[in-house]
Amino acid sequence: MPPMMSGRMQEVMNQLLSASIGIEVVYSFVIIVCSLMVYFGTKELYELSSHKGIKYFRLAFLFFAIAYFFRSFIKFLVYFFGVRAIRDAPQIIGALILFIFLYASSMAVFYLFYSVICKKWKNKIYLFHLAAVILSLVILFYRNNIAYLLINILLFLLLALGIYLSHLSSKGKKKNKFFIVYILLFAFLLLNVIDILLPNIIGKYQLTFYLISLGIFMLILFKVLKKAG
Amino acid sequence: MKRERLEIIRDILLIIRDYKSIKRTPLLRKSNLSSQRFSEYFKELLEKELIGEATDSKGKKKVSLTEKGSRYLEKYRTIVSFIDEFEL
Repeated sequence: MPPMMSGRMQEVMNQLLSASIGIEVVYSFVIIVCSLMVYFGTKELYELSSHKGIKYFRLAFLFFAIAYFFRSFIKFLVYFFGVRAIRDAPQIIGALILFIFLYASSMAVFYLFYSVICKKWKNKIYLFHLAAVILSLVILFYRNNIAYLLINILLFLLLALGIYLSHLSSKGKKKNKFFIVYILLFAFLLLNVIDILLPNIIGKYQLTFYLISLGIFMLILFKVLKKAG
Repeated sequence: MKRERLEIIRDILLIIRDYKSIKRTPLLRKSNLSSQRFSEYFKELLEKELIGEATDSKGKKKVSLTEKGSRYLEKYRTIVSFIDEFEL
């Protein structure tokens, strides 16, 4: 390749990299802000009521914020040092960051799930912490992509079924369809984890995936602000 | 129909608000709870500072609503509607 062409290619690659990082920054920032707004926006409701459901709902969004913070951190490392920097790096730092991201993602999903079922299944949150730690360690040390995908799909199906059954058995005076938003949120959070560990799967649909994720978080934030005042 | 926890708390706070300050025994009677359940709720409300207990000039202990308790009553509908909306 002529040196001029090579220089031009490098320039285009740098521009693409900058755009990609820019999208990543905006995406993560909006989700972290939405999650923290949900967390702080419901503070008074929880302080007054001490309602367990509200407690776990808030914690879910705090963990979403933590997970997305580490997600964007990992993406930065991947952009600058490549995928191997995260998965195969011998440094304890890489493994620790990935563990925190996996644990926070799992706990965000589990807290949201538990906020809905905690009335029927009291004082069992420790089981979800345990499951999140085991899941994160398995993914970290057992590097089999197919097994990893299957674990995530199975987890998603279990949670979605649990939420749906809980919705069917709820005694609320008026039933709404909010459980669908929860199921979508589970799906997109698991896709976020897949996007970090198996980036090729999301590939060219990344922008669509980002936009739908943002839409779900903004819908929840809108509902929370409308209801919590 | 069985009252929910948040509803019971609201009812107790409403009684206290209506009386401004009330002794424990009439509050128990008006709250429509067994004495054991009433004690549990009473303890919880004191701990969470939704109510306060003070001795009056005659040396009798009376219960009154705190600022946080008034805020609870103001926000009660919002809390219940939030829980319903998000199926918590």
